[in-house]
Amino acid sequence: MAKETIALTPAMPKCWNPDSKPHKFCPGCGHGLTLKMLGQAIDELGIQDKVIFGCDIGCSLLSWDFFNVDSVQTHHGRTTPVITGIKRARPELIGIAYMGDGGGYAIGAQHLVNAATRNEKITAILINNTNYGMTGGQMAPTTLPGQITETTPFGRDPEDSGYPTMGPEMVAAIAREGAYVARGSMANLRQLKRFLKKALENQMEGNGFSFVEVLSSCPTNWRTNAEATWRFVEKDMAEHFPVGEFKVPGKKEEK
Amino acid sequence: MKEKPVKGERRVFMTGNEVCAWAALAADADIMFGYPITPQTDIMQYWTRLAPKYGKKFLQTEDEISAGFTTLGAVIAGKRAFSATTGPGNVLFQEPMSMAEMMRIPVVLIIPMRGGPSTATVIYSQQEVTMTAFGGNGEGFRVVYSTAGHQDLYDYTIKAFNTAWKYRFPTFVLSDGYQGKMRESLTIYDPAERGIEMVKAEPMLGLPGIPGVDRPTRHLRNTYNTEEELYEVVMQIARDFEKAAPEIVEWQDFDTDSEMDVLILAHGVVSRAAQGALPLLKNEGIKAGHFRPITLRPMPEEQMRAAAARANRVVVVESAYGQFLKLVKETLYGMDKPIDAILRPGVGITAEEIVAEIKERR
Amino acid sequence: MRIVEAFIGEYASGKSENAINRALELLRRNRQVTIVDLDTVEPFYTLRPLKKKLEQLGLRVIAWDPAETTGLGEAGSLINQQMIWALRNEGDIILDIGYGAHGARILNLVEGAQDDPDLRLLVVVNIARPMTASVEDIVQYVQGLGTVHGLINNSHLGNETTLDIIQDGAVMVTEAARILQLPVIYTAVAREFAHLIGPHDKAGNPVKIIELFMHEAYW
Repeated sequence: MAKETIALTPAMPKCWNPDSKPHKFCPGCGHGLTLKMLGQAIDELGIQDKVIFGCDIGCSLLSWDFFNVDSVQTHHGRTTPVITGIKRARPELIGIAYMGDGGGYAIGAQHLVNAATRNEKITAILINNTNYGMTGGQMAPTTLPGQITETTPFGRDPEDSGYPTMGPEMVAAIAREGAYVARGSMANLRQLKRFLKKALENQMEGNGFSFVEVLSSCPTNWRTNAEATWRFVEKDMAEHFPVGEFKVPGKKEEK
Repeated sequence: MKEKPVKGERRVFMTGNEVCAWAALAADADIMFGYPITPQTDIMQYWTRLAPKYGKKFLQTEDEISAGFTTLGAVIAGKRAFSATTGPGNVLFQEPMSMAEMMRIPVVLIIPMRGGPSTATVIYSQQEVTMTAFGGNGEGFRVVYSTAGHQDLYDYTIKAFNTAWKYRFPTFVLSDGYQGKMRESLTIYDPAERGIEMVKAEPMLGLPGIPGVDRPTRHLRNTYNTEEELYEVVMQIARDFEKAAPEIVEWQDFDTDSEMDVLILAHGVVSRAAQGALPLLKNEGIKAGHFRPITLRPMPEEQMRAAAARANRVVVVESAYGQFLKLVKETLYGMDKPIDAILRPGVGITAEEIVAEIKERR
Repeated sequence: MRIVEAFIGEYASGKSENAINRALELLRRNRQVTIVDLDTVEPFYTLRPLKKKLEQLGLRVIAWDPAETTGLGEAGSLINQQMIWALRNEGDIILDIGYGAHGARILNLVEGAQDDPDLRLLVVVNIARPMTASVEDIVQYVQGLGTVHGLINNSHLGNETTLDIIQDGAVMVTEAARILQLPVIYTAVAREFAHLIGPHDKAGNPVKIIELFMHEAYW
């Protein structure tokens, strides 16, 4: 009987805050899965007492009490500088800046760019779900050409509103040796966890800036059922946003 | 133990911006974040020259928004962090200062005011009073010291750190472009030797032990989405601010003990012109006094009203087009007292000019 | 026979008022009724604040309670499990659907909506809304929504409503419905216009008196 109970309980990462579960992301949202992988990575690295988790405005803010790690919810786009300040003040801490595509690529783009060029020793994780979820599905920097959103009601016309931001490609181009840059997807959770773990290890080793973009779903604002949601993440998004590692620091021990 | 930057007491000759950097060192500030803008930049320049010697840190950020938020991050992590800015930089600083107000994050910002609106001049003004006291989306739960000379700059920069960390309101030291660049002598000192104990900077996050296991987890937020919840939070801040106000307010008065023909109200460096005007007015047979609020927020209301009660009329003098005047009107509300004003936005004012204006308007 | 109706329409067209009134009308016929808030675009300007009151009146309400949304952020654009499985409830179901560029596609999120034989989508139209102010605009707007089953004339000007605007709306909505080959279900009027207009509007559509609730919501 006891065994059966265990089998039925979904495994919750040790560093999750049980008081805030079940979490409040919409069913089918990619945030929950990403944060589960992040939680497992924190557990496996044994850094629950060292992590400072910062979250942005937008749906990412729903994670403000998600973990049993010390956390701060900031302003829209400003999580990168807050975590930078914390890390500069206390280098022994492990700073995670968790944000959406609006926070990282639009209103806080200057912070992402400059943190990357300065090689700030923090880990930034950015959820790309091709729209602004919390405000009700407006165009994001990552909205795909032709995609309908509340501010592109006739589909995004790149002539008019530009092409989707290629975040990891940009960060990889401006970051120097020591940076870790990758794009993962909720469609491949094992790989995503590997990327997140490497992004944390890179900070722990003091190498430099670590950045992981995550292809993620927003069925609520996409108005998609499970099948269409999955197709959009796996096919449409992956076609525009290649998944993989863009910059990996050379192994130190090999020197 | 690290070497103390200022030992004992000594008389020195410095620029105002240099004084601010020394005062921050004497107050044992740990780290400064900033973005260059005239006439603030030399605070950063002196800090970057002095800091490494005493194990202090500095980061030049990509803009003032980032300077503000990195400062807050360092404070959250338990450091005595500060920044300095002015003019359009102060505009950008309003966003992080608003977060500090809401989350009770102590922070010190030094502002040598420049001309406005917009880019205007890099020289001098008193035009950042409204923004500094009441900027951001919020209620102005802030402390603003307005300095009138280099000794003030030293004393109140040190004091600002203790006010901020004791009461947990963002605390501002207003200076101006003249003061930043002008040179005069002052006494610098080790606060400890004057019995000033620096309030300890405690971390808000990153405490020892495993969160949720050894101790409760710290979850800081500034987002509320029911009216009731926000109301509770804001009213608590308001009550704390009202309670602290009488302990925080500071002022100076000159010749205000007896009946006056005219009471001159001025703050900051303009107060020096007002002080200079008093003997000149006396020679002209005009009985004048001067009241200078040192804290513009909270305002020493009772004290200003008491001084005004003894004068036939009040003259407000400022290098702005009525920003301090508004605060005065609010403070003296309900008193049957004529209020006149000498308003010189972005322009310096001499003692002689004040005398001439007062004589003319008599 | 189970009644499943979704009220859809442009921003501020009167969807929620009509949905609430329909739900209460069914309740008065001693039917079991569930009302579902599916507005994800402006989720803080919906029937959420009325949840308690409507429950006291006897409705089952599926909507976020403001108290549940603590720390959810500025808008809290969220769908929950109850909403997704709303159509599995017993009895009648009234869905209040928000406006948005995706139109009726929000129903893709609701399990079983694609093949529910009872589901009828009703479009609420107010000709005082600039985007549905002409027959042509109404036709174009409704065509962009996907499959719908009927139109409701909800033309009014708030406190400045006149009988003329209601009747003008009736004529326009009826003409649009003819082009779209859809029925006009009714013309909605506030109680004070009941005696002025009578049981049918100018175009012969039945008139329904609606009580106003939304002014009690926060905005």
